Amino acid sequence: MQIFISGGCKNGKSAHAERVAIQLHKNSGPLYYIATMTPTDYEDEKRIARHQNERAGANFTTIEQPRNIEGILEKCDTSGSFLLDSLTALLANEMFLICGSFDKNAHKRVATGLEAILTHIENIVIVSDYIYSDAVLYDPLTELYRKSLAHVDRLMAAHCDVVLEVTYGQIIAHKGGKDYDAMA
Amino acid sequence: MILIFGGAYQGKTAYAREHFGDKTIVNNFERIVLDWIKAGECLENNLQHFIEKNSSSVIVCTDISCGVVPIDPTMRKWRECVGRAMVLLTQKSNKVIRIYCGIPTTLK
Repeated sequence: MQIFISGGCKNGKSAHAERVAIQLHKNSGPLYYIATMTPTDYEDEKRIARHQNERAGANFTTIEQPRNIEGILEKCDTSGSFLLDSLTALLANEMFLICGSFDKNAHKRVATGLEAILTHIENIVIVSDYIYSDAVLYDPLTELYRKSLAHVDRLMAAHCDVVLEVTYGQIIAHKGGKDYDAMA
Repeated sequence: MILIFGGAYQGKTAYAREHFGDKTIVNNFERIVLDWIKAGECLENNLQHFIEKNSSSVIVCTDISCGVVPIDPTMRKWRECVGRAMVLLTQKSNKVIRIYCGIPTTLK
């Protein structure tokens, strides 16, 4: 089953995604955690450490893949189960380059990579962030990032069997609710 | 009146065109409200007039209600006015649909 999860910041998306990935896995084959964040400051390091602690009990094999997401197809046993957290970091890494410039077509590369993954991996949970409902007129670059992430989100929502919104730990199934209930 | 709302770039307009292409579609209602505010116009009158004029239209609005309180007074007023206007529009609409990642949920 392919599951897309989004929602607001600190609403419990990652924790829920981990539970769902463990349920999907059912103790057969490897269980992978695809880490996408490249820490840029102390806050990021703390966030990563907290997520690592939360995952410590479950047997996740962590694969660092901050760019070129299709690269996991060569590194992993694709018959396993996957948790990809998050599209937000993945797109930021592809879009904002280390040299200081940016790639306005990053979402196309990310989309192609993700579509390749979904063709080969049957059991995957993909996490993104819902950053679309605030009253701010952003600068063109931030607006481009929001538009690009939404493009990738909608594509994943269209491909996946199940689409979940996590709001303060509560789950709203926008797609595939019956399949999700049967599994959970 | 039919009301379609959701976050930015969620596929609201595409949904409106696909399902209600035969009707008048009024896009970016939140921007219309911002124009009223910037012009210093009376919101109540404008809104009343807007509702009368668009009784059989499809209104598309970006939900801007879920962020931090804006520091800028105009943005703050914008957020509050869109919120209040939307509560009225949902009451006046026969159908209210929220779009999330391209997926519709009918709320009314």
